[in-house]
Amino acid sequence: MAVKGLDIFKLSPKTNCKECGSPTCMAFCMKVAQGAISIDKCPHMSAEAIALLSEATAPPMKSLEVGAGDNVHKLGGETVLFRHEKTLVSKNLFAVPVCTGMDDATVDAKLADMAKIDYERIGERMTVEFVYVNYGGEGADKYVALVKKAAAANRALILNCADADVAKAALAECKDGKPILVGANKDNWEAMNAVATEAGVVLGVTGASLEEMHDVLAALEGAGNKNLVADVTGADAKETFKNAVLLRRSALKDGDRTCGYPSIVNLAKVAKGDLHLQTALASVFTIKYGSIIVMETMTYAEALPLYGLRQNVYTDPQKPMKVAPGIYPINGATPDDPCMMTVDFALTYFLVSGEIERSKVPINLIITDASGMSVLTAWAAGKFSSSTIQKDFDAMDIAGKINNRTLVIPGKVAVMKGEIADKLPEWNVVVGTREAVEIVKFLKDGEHIKAAEAVAAAKPKDGAKKVEEVKEDAPIDFSKLVYPEIKVVPQEVTYKGHNPESKKFVTIGERIHCISPVIREAMATFNPEPILKRAAEQIAAGATYLDVNIGPAESNGPELMTWAVRLLQENFNNVPLALDTANKKAIEAGIAVYNRSNGKPIVNSADAGSRISYIDLAAANDAIVIALCSADGIAKDNEERMTHCHHMLDRGMSLGMEADDLWFDPLFLVVKGMQDKQMDVLNAIKLFSDEGLKSTGGLSNNSNGAPKNVRPIMDSALVAMCMMQGLTSAIVNPCDLRLMETIKSCDIFKNHELYSDSYLEI
Amino acid sequence: MAFVPKVQAFSAHINAVTLGTGDNSIVLGGGNTLPFYTFDAPTENAPKVGIEVSDLGLENFQAPGFKEFYAGCNTMAEMAKKAETVEGASFIALSFEGADPNGHNKSVEECVAQAKEVAAVVTKPLVVMGCKNAEKDAALLGALAEALQGKNALFMSATEEDYKSISASVAMAYSQKVGAESAVDINLAKQLNVLINQMGVPAGSVVMNVGSAGAGYGFEYVSSTLDRVKAAALAQNDNMLQMPIITPISTETWGLKESIMPESEMPEWGPAEERGIEMEITTAAACLAGGSDAVILAHPASIAAVTKMINALV
Repeated sequence: MAVKGLDIFKLSPKTNCKECGSPTCMAFCMKVAQGAISIDKCPHMSAEAIALLSEATAPPMKSLEVGAGDNVHKLGGETVLFRHEKTLVSKNLFAVPVCTGMDDATVDAKLADMAKIDYERIGERMTVEFVYVNYGGEGADKYVALVKKAAAANRALILNCADADVAKAALAECKDGKPILVGANKDNWEAMNAVATEAGVVLGVTGASLEEMHDVLAALEGAGNKNLVADVTGADAKETFKNAVLLRRSALKDGDRTCGYPSIVNLAKVAKGDLHLQTALASVFTIKYGSIIVMETMTYAEALPLYGLRQNVYTDPQKPMKVAPGIYPINGATPDDPCMMTVDFALTYFLVSGEIERSKVPINLIITDASGMSVLTAWAAGKFSSSTIQKDFDAMDIAGKINNRTLVIPGKVAVMKGEIADKLPEWNVVVGTREAVEIVKFLKDGEHIKAAEAVAAAKPKDGAKKVEEVKEDAPIDFSKLVYPEIKVVPQEVTYKGHNPESKKFVTIGERIHCISPVIREAMATFNPEPILKRAAEQIAAGATYLDVNIGPAESNGPELMTWAVRLLQENFNNVPLALDTANKKAIEAGIAVYNRSNGKPIVNSADAGSRISYIDLAAANDAIVIALCSADGIAKDNEERMTHCHHMLDRGMSLGMEADDLWFDPLFLVVKGMQDKQMDVLNAIKLFSDEGLKSTGGLSNNSNGAPKNVRPIMDSALVAMCMMQGLTSAIVNPCDLRLMETIKSCDIFKNHELYSDSYLEI
Repeated sequence: MAFVPKVQAFSAHINAVTLGTGDNSIVLGGGNTLPFYTFDAPTENAPKVGIEVSDLGLENFQAPGFKEFYAGCNTMAEMAKKAETVEGASFIALSFEGADPNGHNKSVEECVAQAKEVAAVVTKPLVVMGCKNAEKDAALLGALAEALQGKNALFMSATEEDYKSISASVAMAYSQKVGAESAVDINLAKQLNVLINQMGVPAGSVVMNVGSAGAGYGFEYVSSTLDRVKAAALAQNDNMLQMPIITPISTETWGLKESIMPESEMPEWGPAEERGIEMEITTAAACLAGGSDAVILAHPASIAAVTKMINALV
């Protein structure tokens, strides 16, 4: 049972005495919540706290598992009424009924029709999950025979049978398949409870009204059974909807745990014979609180929209919508048609595929695994690079499936053209348009074909050149790093120095980032001017650290980072830097030439998922690391944020790092879109701070998409609130004067800087 | 202890907006509960279903059922007259997609003439849908609003790009109702309402189209937008989101793969028309469950089913 670590923490002594073996009470409580440690390891937890705990932390809605083998299904466990509040966790399931009143041929036909619904949609198998087996009073033999037949259909079962003896006989045949037994009511609940409990199956409650069902649920709970569902089907659709909503709302909003059970709605009953009406109602109950929906039939005409709807509604709003990597032939493309490539972010896919469709030009659209990020973001994070592309091409055997060798890459990552051409020598790599809207013209004019011919013609005749494979774990050979000589030129601004012991807020200037076209170009050509210019601006504006994002830099990361670090530090009095790239060798090389007189280098960044090893990198190089409290997508709540936080803290400390060298990033969220999660982020900062941990993050993300004149106001207000919560650093644009003045003012109030009338100028 | 569920009606209301005149007029919105929560408070005005009639005839509605239903209709007016007879359809949504400069590029005059013909023969309220080209719509909807003066029709849609001219002509010069269209984003929806309000259009003259998508095609955004708009309007009493919501469904669903893939290519899927109907029903019902106060459908069978569903739930 999921007990919340933060709830346990509220009851803990909060003394951080370490007697339990964990560094803090919070860390201990998180481990207890995960079941990694027993609560009695804390000698100071009071008995009443432990007792309160089980009551206070019981989830509002029961999670159940029914079915067996391939047909195991999850029900319940919801914590919110609306998906935007967090996420819905258990998708609604569908059932079709058979009845003892039907003749064998009808039953066979129904089961055969049901089995036809079996297809895949965006990575999810779509079937009718249950056969709903109705008992009409014709005696146990007939029912048992029907149940046997239904069980053979290889779906999970729901037995609708209020006769305890008949139910018992039926369960003897099918209990290993973990069916649901529906039929406990105010009169028979004790007998039904005995049958269900003995067979170890979930029991479904019925009643003439919700009030009556509630009484039966309460009686069964009193008898110790919490493996329950409620068949909320009423006399008509209206009453059924009322029951479904009130059951769920009373459980989740009003805290009535006796209502906290999954529901069954039987549309074959309330809209008997009217299949279109059943579809309409199934759609309504998919949106609002039907856990299992019984439909008279399930044809493809019904399944395609209903299952599509369900798949949409039950996506996690915190996770980016992804499409499956693969080859998507558009406009009737065959293996002989050219390829275009983009990332798996769903919106990008829909945009690009839509434009290709409009062009009516046959194209094989290749989608690569980029963790659901957009093109530039994925590229900057190293999720859409020549190596990931090569890996995907090999894994999906693109070269074997496609004969054409034209490959159009997104214009925004034109810089990768050379690297991709090296990794995929047999392909003619062509740079496509920067924006999707330009695709139609590009394809209609045949630009992709002309460009591919030009690439092919320019290739050396003796075949592809061999790329020297660099082993990933090979040590860096510094003598082989070749980059232009560092020129130290007199600068108009001087970096004033930084004392790592100071409590003042640390700003990390974000303006040297390869997502900016100017910087991307400068990095590609080792041109120092644009980089020095942006460094000077940020230093003049008061930045403490400068972030240096060189992009994935697969081919020359160590050279580029070494060059950038020396360029900036030698020109600006050893300004401290955050080294920001998906290329770990580059970070290592950068640290090797890094001067620590103004503070340790920062590794930007680790997370609790695929980038966890950046903590190891920081530990091995005595660096600070920015630790993103996320693994796969944004953490859904502070429970998850703190779990990631402690996971990374444990790892860093076990590698000998100081806690102060892990700067935790709660991940700032966009107000436009995630307004209701802003307080979560602020509370997470407080949680870090309460444990004495340092924190940072890309604070200005909050105002993304807001008008230019509004952004500094939002950023300033947020930074003030964050600093109140204990944020110790932020990755910001230091050229935002209002923001920097707010930070300086907050440092005054926090007593981190002694006040003087001119405090804004120093 | 007996179970007494809590009643949770809100003190805030959705604006009630009247379309049409006289006996056939309809009221959108007006309620103070989540959709179909009759147990919290009685439903003020049941959601309404409209029927789409396109100036392109059946160009986008190829299923046999459409041809059969509209057999013998040669003009938009004849189709509209026929559409009016569909049980459950309480308004007619005239779509002038033929005006799209990138499509048939019909002239404003031609559209105005068609609209006048329709208005002369139908009695149910009218909703007018433009061609989705901001520049053309600004001229087209203004001219149509003038032509349909006194009809108290709803004009869709004013967007971020053309709300100024459409608000000025439709609402202020000709006292018709304005549809404010935003693309599945609650912040944009509110912003557009604020801007239209700042033009001097009273909140009671505005109906929102907060965007739509077919079931399975990013409907989660639609669903969450509807949930959040209703929460802001009712729980937070945000009067810039209390406009009733109208959602075009047919325009989203009848072009989807599920609705048009010929049975010959996907035999197990069965007849395309039935799939199109079920897709239209599913999408409409999901929008109504989320908070649409009106939906626009095309197929008579879908309209019948969705109407039945509404009647069953209110």
